[in-house]
Amino acid sequence: MSDAASKRDAFEAKIRAYVGLKEGLPFECPDPVNEPMIRHWCEVMGDENPAYLDPEVAKKTAHGGIVAPPTMLQTWDMRGYAMRDPALIQNKQRELHKLFDDAGYTGVVATDTEQEYKRYLRPGDRITAETTIESISEQKATALGIGYFVVTRTVFTDQNGEEVGWLTFRVLKFKPAQQPGAADDDRRAAASKPTRIRSPRGHDNAWWWEACDEGRLLIQKCSECGALRHPPRTMCGKCQSTQWGSIEASGRGCVYSYTVLHHPPIPGYDFPCPVALIDLEEGTRIVANVAGCEPEDIHIGMKVECVFQDVDETMKLPFFHAVK
Amino acid sequence: MSNPKLRCEDLSVGDQREAVVVENLSRTQIVQYAGASGDFNPIHHDETFATGAAGYPSVFAHGMLTMGLTGKLLTDWLGDGVLRSFGVRFVSQVWPGDTLTARGTVRSVEDRGDDGLVSIDLVTVNQKGEPVVTGSATALLARSR
Repeated sequence: MSDAASKRDAFEAKIRAYVGLKEGLPFECPDPVNEPMIRHWCEVMGDENPAYLDPEVAKKTAHGGIVAPPTMLQTWDMRGYAMRDPALIQNKQRELHKLFDDAGYTGVVATDTEQEYKRYLRPGDRITAETTIESISEQKATALGIGYFVVTRTVFTDQNGEEVGWLTFRVLKFKPAQQPGAADDDRRAAASKPTRIRSPRGHDNAWWWEACDEGRLLIQKCSECGALRHPPRTMCGKCQSTQWGSIEASGRGCVYSYTVLHHPPIPGYDFPCPVALIDLEEGTRIVANVAGCEPEDIHIGMKVECVFQDVDETMKLPFFHAVK
Repeated sequence: MSNPKLRCEDLSVGDQREAVVVENLSRTQIVQYAGASGDFNPIHHDETFATGAAGYPSVFAHGMLTMGLTGKLLTDWLGDGVLRSFGVRFVSQVWPGDTLTARGTVRSVEDRGDDGLVSIDLVTVNQKGEPVVTGSATALLARSR
């Protein structure tokens, strides 16, 4: 096992030890559910619902008085100014985040939440929140950078020990693709214009991508039986030889099949995004984008020719254009 | 404004409700939400931190602020005390100056005896039409006798 792989295993063993742990003791929310906090929250939302704000009108509702908006649930459990400085909060979740930070996964972004409301909260309710670290994903490559999704579950109970609701919160802890530094216009521009997913350059295929960098389209060729193959791989599928070389493709071919992607919009790609399986005249197939014509003009059998295009400052890719 | 009299038979699969839930979101509103919610993660209110250490083009709204704004569509539409669950995915960030429109679509109405469990699909988009949150919610609405 490589150094990097064993380091990653050791790191993952450390973070996984936190799965299933409670963040700490149940947290007694500092304020009972109360009208001023409800009013402040509703003011931000522009929510003028009298069920939250007007005691007289609220009396006539099913609740018989003011209730807190259900989506305000998480508010009762927030830690206020201490959230400004992670050092001010000591619990298992912070410990876990520190492990991530120390390993370079300094970025954090919330990705989703699920909430369930057993009953609406009323002024005077005293809420206790208990948070468990529920899961940590495998390492994932995302548009923001490599990272891990961490899910926590918080269960809210009232003064009688009855559950009033729960929520899960999923965050991505990631290694920022761009290293932190002083903000400047270039980085702002770069942040607003994501680049394409990088080519996966491994031991067995880096040579092919390096040729792309030079604007050359290569096809791998078995040194024993002469069979062509693409994408690059270690062994010949025909004769199992691991000896190989390459030839340069003419770049001419025709569309064997294609699709036009509309959704989801992956950062760095232009949509609609036509992707085709191209029969190269040498006899192998390659997946690539079709450019230089309207998506609706693409058809099976269309003759195409390879043109290398810069997709960003550091990446050149083969595109296929229609030939008359 | 809320609709306390809505009953589950008033809703059919495919019914839609759309509303602008915030116009030209200001930094002040984001700061106000930090105060109202107690979420003082500096990425949402400290421009120097957001653009420097964190590398974002500016501060941006709390996901839960966008969720709360989206929730306003639900509670205004369905009435008080009926929301049972609500889940959202934070698809992209909400920046100062954004105008958000939330849209709910009835996905199903399930018979629960005296009540009906209504499932709603949700999407909130910014002024460019890009989704910022997607999600779903359920509400328990009474049935007429």
